Parts: sequence; C-alpha cells; structure tokens
Amino acid sequence: MSEFFNQYFDFDFMGEHFDEVFDAFLKNLLIFVVAAAFALFLGLILALIRQLPGKKFAPLRFLTIAYIDVFRAIPILIVILLISGGIPYLEFIPKDIRIPHWFGQPDPYWYGVLGLTLVYSAYMAEVYRAGIEAVPGGQVEAARSLGMSHGQALRHVVVPQAVTKIPAPMLNELISLLKDTTLVSVVAFGEAALIAREIQAETFNASAYVLAGIMFLVITLPMARLVDKLIKRNQGRITRGSHIEVA
Amino acid sequence: MAEPMVKLHGIHKRFGKLEVLKGVDLDVGKGEVVCILGPSGSGKSTFLRCVNLLEPPEQGEIFIEGQDICKGPGSGTGAESWELDFVRQRVGIVFQQFNLFPHKTALQNVTLAQECVLDRSKNEARTKATQLLERVGLGDKLDQYPERLSGGQQQRVAIARALAMDPHVMLFDEVTSALDPELVKEVLDTMRELAEEGMTMIVVTHELGFAREVADRVVFMDGGVIVEEGPPAEVLENPQEERTKQFLGLVLDR
Repeated sequence: MSEFFNQYFDFDFMGEHFDEVFDAFLKNLLIFVVAAAFALFLGLILALIRQLPGKKFAPLRFLTIAYIDVFRAIPILIVILLISGGIPYLEFIPKDIRIPHWFGQPDPYWYGVLGLTLVYSAYMAEVYRAGIEAVPGGQVEAARSLGMSHGQALRHVVVPQAVTKIPAPMLNELISLLKDTTLVSVVAFGEAALIAREIQAETFNASAYVLAGIMFLVITLPMARLVDKLIKRNQGRITRGSHIEVA
Repeated sequence: MAEPMVKLHGIHKRFGKLEVLKGVDLDVGKGEVVCILGPSGSGKSTFLRCVNLLEPPEQGEIFIEGQDICKGPGSGTGAESWELDFVRQRVGIVFQQFNLFPHKTALQNVTLAQECVLDRSKNEARTKATQLLERVGLGDKLDQYPERLSGGQQQRVAIARALAMDPHVMLFDEVTSALDPELVKEVLDTMRELAEEGMTMIVVTHELGFAREVADRVVFMDGGVIVEEGPPAEVLENPQEERTKQFLGLVLDR
C-alpha cells in the first residue's frame, strides 16, 4: 500500500516539482481565458445567425448549422492536429499568420487556442440556442402581434429572457474547456499535462500528474458548485413563474 | 352596405394532414362585436389567429378595411407578399395565456411596442400607457412585474398593451379560460366597456352570458366550418342546428 502512495501521493516529490507544474498550469489558464472569450463571442454570433428568419437567410443558416454540426462531431485533438499539421506549411499565407508568435506566445499556443475556439464556439452556439428556444413561443407571438419586427422581438423580448437561462449550461461548457486545454500538449506546448508527463518520464513517479489534477480541481470544483447553485435558483424562478394565480 | 371592417372569405388551413378550417367566411362591420363559440378543436382559435396572420391560411382571402392582406400587390403567396405591418397596426390580439413580457413591468409592457413600433417618445408612450392602465383599473400597479399580478390583472395589462397601439379591431382568444372563476368578471367588464365604446371585436369565448349580453352576432363553429350564426337571442335561445343544440345543452348543463 505504501508503494501505491509513493507512486501517486509522494508529497515531498510534489513539493520539489510544484513550481514547475504550477507555471505550466498558468499556461492552461492562459489558453482557457483567451479561447473562452473568443468562443463566447463567436458562439453568440453563430446562434443569432441561426435565428435569422425567412428564405433570404436560408444559405447563411445552413452554413451555420453545418459549422456547428461539424465541429461538434470531430474530436478536439484531431482539430488541433489538423491546424498544427497543415497551416504552418501553407506558404500562400503570410509567415506571421501561419506561424504566429503574437503577444509573446509561441505558435503551438495559438494553434491550441484556435482549435479550442473552433470547437467550443460550436458548443456555445448550442448553449445560446437552448436559452433562446426556452423562451415560450407565446412571447414572440405577442411581440410580433404588436407589430414588432423579428429583430425587435429578439432584442427586446427573447434575448433578455434567454440570458437568465444560460449561465448554468455555459459554466458547464467552460469547465470542459478548461480541462480540454491539456489537449494542447499534443503540439508540444508546455502546459501542465505535458510538464507532468516529462517529470514522470524522468522519475517514474506519477505524483506530478496528481499534482496537476489537484490544480484543475481547485478551479473546476467551485465552478461546478456554482452551476448547482444557479440551477437551483433558476428552478425556483421557474416554479414561481408558472404559478399564474399569484395574489 | 358599407365596406366591412374585416372580411374573410373561403379560409382553409391544415396542420399536416388535419384540415382545421374547411372554408370559413365571416364579415365583421365597424363597431360590431362578434362572438365565436364552439367545442374545443372546432377551429375557432385558429380562425381568429388567421385574422392577424399569426396562422396564415393556405387558401382564402382576408380584407382589413378593404385592403387585401394575404395576397398583396405581388400576388405571390409567400410571407413577402403579406401585409404584415398593415394588419398588425390595425388588429390587436389578447391571448388565453396573457403572454405578458415577464422581464418588464406593467407599464413597460404597455410602452415597449409604442416606442419601438410607433416611434412614440418615452413621455408620450408613458402617458398613453398610464391612461390605459388606469382605464382598466390598474393605475396603482404600474411598476409591478407580471409575476406579482393576479391572472385577471395580467389579462387587463395585456388588453391595455394591445390598445396602446390604437387598433381598429381587437381579437380575444379565450381570454378568460386560464382564469380562476372569481377573476373572470373583471376581465369581461373591461371588454364590455370596450364594446360600448364602439370597438370592433371578434371574441372567441366559452362565456355564454357575455355573448348573450354584449355580442351583436354569435357564430357557432364545429369541425372547421361555421354551423350557425345570427343574433345571440336566436342562436343561443333557439338554435336551429342539431350540433348547436347539443353544444349549448352540454355547456348549460354543467
């Protein structure tokens, strides 16, 4: 049994390698923050395009749905490999773009951010859509009957109600995104999983993995609790709302 | 005879395989109050929702104040050729489930469309909304959210919200069906006043008392067609058709 603990929970070992792993973990957070910002924004745009009415916008809607379907269906690892294994060699793209070193971050960082953004914007678009579709149809009917355009109904009636239904599922996606930043290790970016792996390879001790796992836990666990809280609060609101005959 | 306010001719509507409306005609004159009765599934709500194109009919013609709203100048049958703006500015509707905007106060529910559809100033919209809410007896509830109002109060806000757009015709879709019995009267009273002021109204309802007292004409629908129509005294007291008799018998016996 002590052999097991020495393999996974060697606290002296963790202390020795803490700084290394922690610095790497900060890189995970840096991928997370940037990819999350892009995905939240792009996802909203996708969701709104998907709501455009009429025949005129059918091609745009189709493209959006195709984008969402495709990127929800492909493993993120493959998306990242597709980017890092191809774009750097496309010589018609200016070198600064195909091998970016913006803001002092190396190209693997940006390939990771791009890959995660592409996939998670599709996930986020679905979260926004679920929020929009959770608003009862009677709301749009009422707005349209008063002469509001589709856009006005969306802006003044649907979106303000949708945003109250979004936070919990959105946080869930963000938790997944944070965990999926470890996938960027596949393009040799020195984030926590990769560094922990290097340590393990040198020492044949897995405690660095546990250490990295704990660091994720410290961030994601409070997020998960917050999700529970939001869901509970929302349920309270729904129960009250559906009870029409409140005095 | 003067041009009818609303004229519907040969309205057909189907949902998938189910034909809900099988050729319905109705003329409503200015200031007339028409009550539509009928069992559930008879197509009366669908028919009402055809009038303002919430449910566009597949066949038939709709004229509002003489304007053909379904075909339009382009004579195509797609949404592009419907005179949506024309209809929605002239026809107001009140729903069974109120459909108030839950994130807006009573006052904001009534001002929102005035500002963004009619381009009224904030002040103008506010003044109009306050007047209307006072008129429906809710002058002290301006800043309440719908959640804090009773069903009857919510429905009166919904009536005020529709009236704020200065409609020429008002549609009422079973507006008392979701209310507790003791709250029905306050909504019917509001509608009665509206009728007395000369509003043109088409009312889908199960309230026979209201129909008898307020309607100029009663229309009985069943199976997607109009079975019988006439003055309330005739249709309600002395129905000619078997189906009408049966329905009225069931309603009165309960």
